Amino acid sequence: MTRSNPTRTAVVLLAAGTLLSTTACGLSGGGADAKEARRTGEVAGEITFRTLQLKPTFTTYVQGVIDAFEKRYPEVEVTWEDVPGDGYNEKLVADAQAGALPDVVNLSTDSFQLLGDRGMLADVAALDGASAQEYVPGAWEQFKLPGKGDSVYAYPWYVTPEILTYNRELFEKAGLDPAAPPTGVEQFFDYAERIAASSGGRYSAFMADPKGRLPGDWQKMGIPILSEKRDRFTFDTDRAVRWVERMKDLYAKGAMPKESLLKSDDINQLYGSGKIVFGPGSPGFVKDIKKNAPETYAKTQVAGAVTGELGHIGIYAQSLGIKKDTRHVDAAAEFAKWVTNGPNQVEFSRKATIYPSNARGLADPFFSDKGDGKDAETLARAVGADQLKTAALDANTPVQWTNQVGDAVVREMQKAIKGEQDPRTAVRKAQEAANKLLAAAADK
Amino acid sequence: METETGLPHRSWWTPYLFLAPGLVMVTLFSLWPFVNTVVLSFTDAQILRGGGFVGLDNYRRAFADPDFWVATGNSVLYLVVVVPCLVLLPLALAVLVQAKIPGIGFFRSAFYTPVIASAVVVGLIWQWVLRSDGLVNTVFRRLHLVSEPIPFLTDSTMLLVSAMIVTVWKGLGYYMVFYLAALGNVSATLHEAAAIDGAGPVRRFFSITVPQVKPMMLLVGTLSAISALRVFTEIYILGGESGGPGGGARTLPFLIRQVGLGFSGETGYACAISILLFLLTLVFSLLGRRLSKGDEP
Repeated sequence: MTRSNPTRTAVVLLAAGTLLSTTACGLSGGGADAKEARRTGEVAGEITFRTLQLKPTFTTYVQGVIDAFEKRYPEVEVTWEDVPGDGYNEKLVADAQAGALPDVVNLSTDSFQLLGDRGMLADVAALDGASAQEYVPGAWEQFKLPGKGDSVYAYPWYVTPEILTYNRELFEKAGLDPAAPPTGVEQFFDYAERIAASSGGRYSAFMADPKGRLPGDWQKMGIPILSEKRDRFTFDTDRAVRWVERMKDLYAKGAMPKESLLKSDDINQLYGSGKIVFGPGSPGFVKDIKKNAPETYAKTQVAGAVTGELGHIGIYAQSLGIKKDTRHVDAAAEFAKWVTNGPNQVEFSRKATIYPSNARGLADPFFSDKGDGKDAETLARAVGADQLKTAALDANTPVQWTNQVGDAVVREMQKAIKGEQDPRTAVRKAQEAANKLLAAAADK
Repeated sequence: METETGLPHRSWWTPYLFLAPGLVMVTLFSLWPFVNTVVLSFTDAQILRGGGFVGLDNYRRAFADPDFWVATGNSVLYLVVVVPCLVLLPLALAVLVQAKIPGIGFFRSAFYTPVIASAVVVGLIWQWVLRSDGLVNTVFRRLHLVSEPIPFLTDSTMLLVSAMIVTVWKGLGYYMVFYLAALGNVSATLHEAAAIDGAGPVRRFFSITVPQVKPMMLLVGTLSAISALRVFTEIYILGGESGGPGGGARTLPFLIRQVGLGFSGETGYACAISILLFLLTLVFSLLGRRLSKGDEP
């Protein structure tokens, strides 16, 4: 054998190996074809439980929940892994692709939708349908997916409802009554206009970023986002055009900080420094502002979320999914139910600014206590809990409104709000782009 | 077994043994991802969805996609504006700080500081300088130079210009060091001889310094061209995640991220744009190489 031959052979083998590994790993579709697990009644085995950034703040709480479960079911061993928030979804994707999802996994709304849609989560309604009644109305249904019937793909865990936060002092300066905050989207815009007119450019009303407002504002206004079959976007309506016209007008009048159109501003910083009247609509924000900007916190007032004609509010929900092909489905299901039961959720809510999705948990007096009615954090908790009990939970972003769709819509809205294209064209082009993306996704 | 030199005999494969670790690393972390990208660019793969072979569809789609052309235009514009600045300004800076005067070390370090600073920190500093109520607009308004704030960050073209300023500002110190090394090799006797012949500093700069550092200028040109085509952070930090209003300031790397990222990311299409960006970079790299070859004696 000459010298060149082995070299050539090695290069060919290397190239072939590379191509083979490419085909094997790069194009595989993950665990979508996994078999659905069936319960046997035997609560035993080793399961893995993954949470999203709960260590070290909640280590004692989570470990306590795990220890209590293992005590009750001695045949089960739970291995807890906590993953930082940054890149959590990317890690989930990588694990799903490698077929290495944990048995019980904490899912945010978007990761739930992705994994559920790709057939990687067990149908908990089939496994454990009786659990439905344990959760607040709507929370259980929230983890259904369009086109997948009555299947439910995760146990509801903690939820965060939308509320309204605002700077009382700036409200008064604008000649508005802090006791009468806006209740609907259109009224919210009216208030913003008044704030812009009276502030003299010293402060603004709210953030312009359309991504933070859509599709929520449109849903609240009763604009149909999707067709009944949910196979195409239908938001190109006069009402949507009016929303854009209003945003454009308010932006020109200085109701929003100019750079906030691009989401390059930090709303916490702007609100904390008194440059913006309306803060982010989350109870957790109130706690943050209390810690980071006590002076502004003293002027902060909370109220029920701005809604629309349907009375819907936005809810950010966390859930616990079960890997579809878990080897110990009974242990995994029992454990997920254990973590999300009333007492455990209430205890968690006392340690963090969150709300139970569990009906018994939410009925705990802790959530109805308004204190003296003056402390914003206590009030925010009560307001949030109150809204959760009654609100319909279907104002959340639909699965079809993917990142790509959101980006495409936002780009057109930005152009219109800046006055670079007329609102009607913007809405039409946004819908066209969204439908193109939806059709492309459906083809695959 | 020993050879005539007394050294142990080595087989033909011995050098390859030494090369093997590096070869394995390059294969795993460079060659394989590259080949994977090429293969994926011919599929309709999505995140968590294995793709099927679609031939040249992704490339056809790119050429018909207005967003692709906007991003390509921005990337090339970035290159055309930034590269000459990064070739000439650091040279001027290097000539200035080359002087051996007391305290010059401080200035050399100061000019290098932006290079060490993280791109995110640099971006945030510039954001506060350029925003509507930022330093520049406040000064301009106080001096009554403008009545309305200049939309440095909220206008696509201005945003692109702002990002270019940041890139040049951050790259000045980096390439200045390159030139300092090259200037150190310029023979002092040439300057002395020219000075005796009556050449002034400007004449000496253009007749002696520039020809001597020309290879370095070509290297800086090539490196800065590659960097300019890869620019992302400046646009992202200054213009937000949509890449300026309506995405008008998006560059090719920005578009790749936007198309391929997220749970609905289109991996196949993003890979196709990556390959097109690679080809564009290759063209400019070869151009630089050809220019530098022409310069060789």
